[in-house]
Amino acid sequence: MASVAEAEPAIGFYTVEQSEFTGWTGGLLVLNASGRPLEFQCTLPIRPSRAHEILYGATLREYLIGDAIGSLLISRCRNTPRMICCDQPEALHLDAHTASPMMLVCEAAETDEGPITDDMLPGYDGLELAGSSLRVATERYEEVSRLLAMFRSLPDIVEPFGRIREAILEAQKQVARARSAAA
Amino acid sequence: MLDGIKVEIDQAASFVSDDLIDPASCELKIEPIDLRAFPIRLQPIELKSIGYQFPRAGGGVSVFRNRALAGQPGSATANNTAAQIGPHAASQPATSNNHGGPNGSSGQNNSPASTGSLGSGTTAAAGGDTKPAVPDYKPPKPKKLTRIRPPADVVKLEDRLYYLLQPPLELLVGSEQLDFPFEPFPYQLDGIAFLFPRYAAVLADEMGLGKTMQAISTMRLLLCSGEVRSVLLICPKPLVSNWLREFSVWAPEIPVAAIEGSAATRQFQWTSPDIAVKIANYELLMRDRDCVLDQDQHFDLVMLDEAQRIKNQRNSTSVIVREIKRTRSWALTGTPVENSPEDIVGIFEFLSPGYLRSEMSMSTIAKATRDHMLRRTKDMVLEDMPPKLYRDAELELTAEQVATYEKAENEGVVQLENLDQQLTIQHVFELVLRLKQICNFDPATGASAKLERLVADMEEVAASGQKAILFSQWVDSIEQMKPALARFGTLEYHGRIPHKQREGVIKQFKEDPSKHIILMSYGAGSVGLNLQFCRYVFLFDRWWNPAIEDQAINRAHRIGAAGSVTVTRMLMAGTIEQRIAAVLDQKREMFDELFSDSRAPGSAGLSREEIFGLFNLRSPKGKIAA
Repeated sequence: MASVAEAEPAIGFYTVEQSEFTGWTGGLLVLNASGRPLEFQCTLPIRPSRAHEILYGATLREYLIGDAIGSLLISRCRNTPRMICCDQPEALHLDAHTASPMMLVCEAAETDEGPITDDMLPGYDGLELAGSSLRVATERYEEVSRLLAMFRSLPDIVEPFGRIREAILEAQKQVARARSAAA
Repeated sequence: MLDGIKVEIDQAASFVSDDLIDPASCELKIEPIDLRAFPIRLQPIELKSIGYQFPRAGGGVSVFRNRALAGQPGSATANNTAAQIGPHAASQPATSNNHGGPNGSSGQNNSPASTGSLGSGTTAAAGGDTKPAVPDYKPPKPKKLTRIRPPADVVKLEDRLYYLLQPPLELLVGSEQLDFPFEPFPYQLDGIAFLFPRYAAVLADEMGLGKTMQAISTMRLLLCSGEVRSVLLICPKPLVSNWLREFSVWAPEIPVAAIEGSAATRQFQWTSPDIAVKIANYELLMRDRDCVLDQDQHFDLVMLDEAQRIKNQRNSTSVIVREIKRTRSWALTGTPVENSPEDIVGIFEFLSPGYLRSEMSMSTIAKATRDHMLRRTKDMVLEDMPPKLYRDAELELTAEQVATYEKAENEGVVQLENLDQQLTIQHVFELVLRLKQICNFDPATGASAKLERLVADMEEVAASGQKAILFSQWVDSIEQMKPALARFGTLEYHGRIPHKQREGVIKQFKEDPSKHIILMSYGAGSVGLNLQFCRYVFLFDRWWNPAIEDQAINRAHRIGAAGSVTVTRMLMAGTIEQRIAAVLDQKREMFDELFSDSRAPGSAGLSREEIFGLFNLRSPKGKIAA
């Protein structure tokens, strides 16, 4: 992640979209404390080969979300978010690639995962922000508790994932149009 | 001697392993395994990314909170600040045109969900097994969110993303960022989301739906986000105070001022960078032409209220507003088409010169304006709006009025016929006006069937503690009815009431329970006033154009109306008033047919031929002097 002096605290939102047509596309949205966009990074869609699917097996999803895609986006981001919210448990692995603590927004994850319960994430503790439940690594609980105070004016931390999905869709449409025009 | 026992092995019955297999034949040659590697080279997954920064986020909020606007000329437009910091989309690998549905989510839902493990206790589903279903779990229903969507003419991806990535308006309303005194209706948020990203836009909502609030709130968002820094709002003179009042309600932190006073004062105001929103009236533009068109004068946004004022492309006001240097152009009007499709062409000459042409068909115009114009009617958006009840009071002239009326009409028609080729439309107008005035009051005796009916109705209005608005075309008629209405507590709002007093009049009418009726002229009171506490509207005489009447009625029948609004349209049977009403009804039907969609203008003035036709006169041959 590039080091840029931050004028204001920023919070990241990270998700990966998977479509059988386009493949896997990751998006990282950085907002200021008021929820306004500061930066958006997204990958171009990738399609793992059959060999990847066989050899990575069940770990492919974890690898893509929690390693390959996320680490690239974080490294490209010019704003350093104080913390990064995600809506997929696999993304919590990105803790290894960033100094910013990763947090799972339970209400956002529940659409795909079902209810997030304590026994599903041992080693993670619960916090709250903007009326939503968070899960954060126990060893970073104190740190995140302090950081949350900066983002108390955020009205909603579930909705930004919808923005990312809209933006990814728009980018894909743009690519499709460009290709169509070039053909 | 005993011989010893000789023991012999019966070879035939014995088994020796060697008997069966010749050791030499047991040798098994095992060929050495020749190992060869067959490498499966796993290509690393190649990832590319694109990224954009949005340095404008929240840029203006603190500025306006402190009421100290930095006076930087020019504007930060969507095109010149987005920085691309990664490879462009053009270099993306092949993708299918077929996307996975809205939000691209269908693929995710359909994919084999092999959620990865997280430590030992996560929702592991090894081996590609699908995740066990969670019984009886229903995800929370998503709430309705109004997102700002980029208009079709915004092409660059970073610009489109800038809008898409803004927070939904529902999250801003009531938050620290956008505190509204009242919760907006969902369609009003849609209107804000429509205006926000557009550089050329017409908000053409029906009167009473809150165009003012939508425009102010969008300006506020743009100013607070730093997207615009200077706004010029042009409106009819009587509405300037109304706009100032509405700004104080909906955007109290925005520095706003009306351009008025001496020439020196106005010149200072025109150039002052501390006034984020300048409000000027149309008439002022002529006088301050040099200031407003100064080459150093540039506005990030110029908005025209009652934009039908510039429908005639040749009038001087239209010419001046088109020359103002600006980045964004918006128009507000409840009647985008008053008389003909030419009206909308005139408005678009301000928004986007040359975009529409007069020779275009209505369907072509409708298609071309679809992305630039938003029109909603009350029927479309307010299901629980209280009803508007029309009561056509067809009255008989009093005996005195009948005599005067017949005499005036007969003599007038004869005079018009005698004019022959000298006949102009003004001659016909004069007769029409004279007859309409007689329908109001007999000039000799002051007799008035309308006033008698009005007084009777007002008894009921006042007795029930309600308030009424009366509209007339003439201030003289208003003066004549005042004595009979005095006991109902009358107030006046028309051209003879100084502008400085008008706000006080409205305030008194609203707050003083003894004031039951306000007498207004169409010209002064038909636009921009919020009188939704009134349950009764009287149209003492009919205006030429139904759109003006609609505007007048909608002073009371608008958002926040306390209940049903009863509109009494007074009409003298067998007179010119009835003939005009019939022609206007026909024209309204024609326009309803032409605008079969929601954008029906509901208005149509009388053409020259129709005015002549009121007296069975034919327009003289050749050009008529108008």
